[in-house]
Amino acid sequence: MRDVDDFQNDAQWVGGALGRLSTVPVPAALEVRILGDFDRLTERRRASWLAPLLETIWPGAPAWRPAAALAGALAVGLAMGVLVPLGDEASATEQSASVMLDAPPAFEIGENS
Amino acid sequence: MFDPDTDLVKRAGAGDRAAAQALMARHLPKMLSLARRMLGSQSEAEDAVQDAFLKLWTHAARWTPGKAKFETWLYRVTMNKCYDRLRKRPAANLEEAADVPDPAPRADRALETADMSAEIEAALAALPERQRAAIVLCHHQERGNVEAAEILGVSVEALESLLARGRRALRSRLAHLRDG
Repeated sequence: MRDVDDFQNDAQWVGGALGRLSTVPVPAALEVRILGDFDRLTERRRASWLAPLLETIWPGAPAWRPAAALAGALAVGLAMGVLVPLGDEASATEQSASVMLDAPPAFEIGENS
Repeated sequence: MFDPDTDLVKRAGAGDRAAAQALMARHLPKMLSLARRMLGSQSEAEDAVQDAFLKLWTHAARWTPGKAKFETWLYRVTMNKCYDRLRKRPAANLEEAADVPDPAPRADRALETADMSAEIEAALAALPERQRAAIVLCHHQERGNVEAAEILGVSVEALESLLARGRRALRSRLAHLRDG
């Protein structure tokens, strides 16, 4: 029959023996593989989040087409907004129309009756 | 229960690469060491750990703190990946792994550290997998009995029984090292 001391001796001895095991080096290639998995999974998740939107824009097309169309439309819109100046005449007409609409009526209703 | 990994796991689940990298830096060395001791093969250990991290990346977004400590869960996943690989091994490989070098010619001289390490690894590999897991978790990874039992999915009493049998077997297999 083994007593408590035997168990404690075994535990101490095994702890000491396992302490002699050499350390396990972590290869850089393994870190790259693990992070590569993370990147692939994240990319796939992002793609699946965008998929319904892209399907609405261009149903049935491969994902790059509606994405490219959306990006193109955004680029054209931005370019128009930045590069095309507002004409002076147009703004003057808008301004006078707004003044006329804001001004009180120049006649009284009861004057000609 | 404060879990130092909760924030990193949440961020990694949201696609934060820096958080994923920090989690990996914190846990990879211990995971790899555990898998190496369980499987006895560096390449298999690397594959098992990669599988465990893949499971982590897949589940990080759904991680709910409070159920279990994150590290305990990760140990458990790694251990299960090791079991999967051990079960897929042909029986012949298990027998080879169980071969402990004959101690007789070495008993009268000091052993080189590398040799000793190899002998301890071989003796460890010869243990039944549950005993090996208990020994590695408690003596090599320095997990407490409660946590080790949780990782192995057994009661603390069952863990203590595995530990006692494993220690005794390991000690008798390595009897020639006792004075070394």
